[in-house]
Amino acid sequence: MGSLSREFTKILFQRRTYVGWVGLLAVPVLIVVALDLSNSKPAPGEGPPFFAQITNNGIFTPLAAIGVLSFFLFPLIAAMAGAFPLAGEAEQGTMKTWMSRPVSRTAILFSKWGVAILYIVVGMLLVGLGGLAAGWAVFGVHPLVTQSGTTISIAMGLERIVLANLLILAALLCMVSLALFFSTLSNSSLTAAISAMVVFVVLTILNSFSYFDFMKPYTFTSYDMAFINLFRDPIYWQPIRHALLAYGATVAGLLLVSWLIFRRKDILT
Amino acid sequence: MTDTDQALVGAPAGGTSGDAEPSAQVCADRPVVLATHGLTKRFGKLLAVDHLDLAVCRGDVFGFLGPNGAGKTTTIRMIFGLIFPTSGHIDVLDHRVPGDRVAALRHLGGFVEVPAFYPNMSARRNLRLIGAAGGRATEERISEVLDTVGLLARGDSKVGGYSHGMKQRLGIANALLARPEVIILDEPTSGLDPQGMKDVRELVRELGAAGTTVFLSSHLLHEVEQVCNRAVIINRGRTVIEGPVSALRPHDEAVKVVTGDQQKAFETARALFGAQGVSWDEGNLIVRAGDEGVPELVRRLVADGIAVRAVVPAVEQGLEDFFLELTQSSDVDAGRGERAADAARSPAGEARG
Repeated sequence: MGSLSREFTKILFQRRTYVGWVGLLAVPVLIVVALDLSNSKPAPGEGPPFFAQITNNGIFTPLAAIGVLSFFLFPLIAAMAGAFPLAGEAEQGTMKTWMSRPVSRTAILFSKWGVAILYIVVGMLLVGLGGLAAGWAVFGVHPLVTQSGTTISIAMGLERIVLANLLILAALLCMVSLALFFSTLSNSSLTAAISAMVVFVVLTILNSFSYFDFMKPYTFTSYDMAFINLFRDPIYWQPIRHALLAYGATVAGLLLVSWLIFRRKDILT
Repeated sequence: MTDTDQALVGAPAGGTSGDAEPSAQVCADRPVVLATHGLTKRFGKLLAVDHLDLAVCRGDVFGFLGPNGAGKTTTIRMIFGLIFPTSGHIDVLDHRVPGDRVAALRHLGGFVEVPAFYPNMSARRNLRLIGAAGGRATEERISEVLDTVGLLARGDSKVGGYSHGMKQRLGIANALLARPEVIILDEPTSGLDPQGMKDVRELVRELGAAGTTVFLSSHLLHEVEQVCNRAVIINRGRTVIEGPVSALRPHDEAVKVVTGDQQKAFETARALFGAQGVSWDEGNLIVRAGDEGVPELVRRLVADGIAVRAVVPAVEQGLEDFFLELTQSSDVDAGRGERAADAARSPAGEARG
């Protein structure tokens, strides 16, 4: 825990940390503002998931926001969050300062991973709470209608929103682990972050061709919209279970390889 | 063999061989706090460190000398466990690196190359953060070490705004923070102005006087002479000489002779010590007379009616040459010995090239 809080202190002293958070907070707020100002509301089933429902019920704002963010900003921020703590320190030259202290390499690696997750959790809280606040202020919050047409209470709706966020977080752990893996190979944080993004984009493109359907169950990028199944009544768990399996295997594999590399890596900067 | 070569061979106290167990002899009754054993690091084709054996005793201010690229920084990186030896190992007290790196690091403080800190944090916060990793740093201790290196007044400014010299001093403060057994400083005076160099050397001397073991890497022989009690000279990753600093100096007692009639004095000196013992250096007469030879030389010069203006040790100038000679002559074989010896006799400026 000490290692994690020290890593958190480090990221709090970097400006880019706040850029990411501000961007994440801005998205749900801007969605609400845009929907409120525009004359033509999206018809049901039109636009990104949950967009049409927001004007009737503000509780959908955080869901609409994470749906939009999952395509680009979330993976990008996760790639950077995973790449900067390790490769960024090598870049800055402080890695050798840090590693000259009596802390095990394993603890260092996992504290870097942990702080990236912490960073994203804070970001997701900003999206969720900011979205709820903005949606509630403009459109009000009501019991919500599920994709199956049934109505569930606000409390149950909030619970499912939390579950949806956890599922997205699990997807982002894949990106964080991927970026961490690349940053054990490179001393440039941008190289590591971009490599992770390239993998993400390439996999996403492949997922869109039916020829590559055989890969789908194994790629973490193909479960982007799995969280929608949480808003069926009853919850349709099967795709969520598959998603979690793919995420778990991806994260475990990447962490293992990262650890194997990092424990024997020559630290030159 | 030239006389310079003889002086060379005679110089090292402990000998240059790494086969013998060096630690036991050199430290006598003092414990060995840091030792390398057959330490080797290969980067691809480059053999950066080649079977390096050295031992630092408790209380030593140990000079780790070598030209740029000799393998000093690579060695220090291995001691800190930042990079892994190709073969061999390091012992810090009874902790073996790389295996027992974390335990070994509890007894080490210092920096490799240029000390690096978090630029957006103040010096104080940097020390708090870095000190807290695997240890504990009280505010009093932080103030104490900042004071030691003369940064107390600037302790709350961001490190990003620090000059090179201030960062160097902060590096030393960070090294001292946890009161480690051994302090390792990698060329702490490099890039500093003369005052900064003087301050850092003074600081290292004080640390040594207070009983702290310091491992000081440097490429300046005179620096090591000023602050260290023992030293090793390495080149191409290998030990050239190890021993007390006094023994590193050439034992060759050359003197510079300035007289009213240098030509006549040259004849006199040559008559006494032979052609080998007399040479010219930028119009100065350099005589290798030995301890006993000097009074005799002066007597003869006076007897010959030559006005003796000054007889001074030539060694100050000879020191850098000696270093160059050592590091060059270990480059290849005996064939280069002659050239190295020539370099030693030529004017200093030329030899440094």
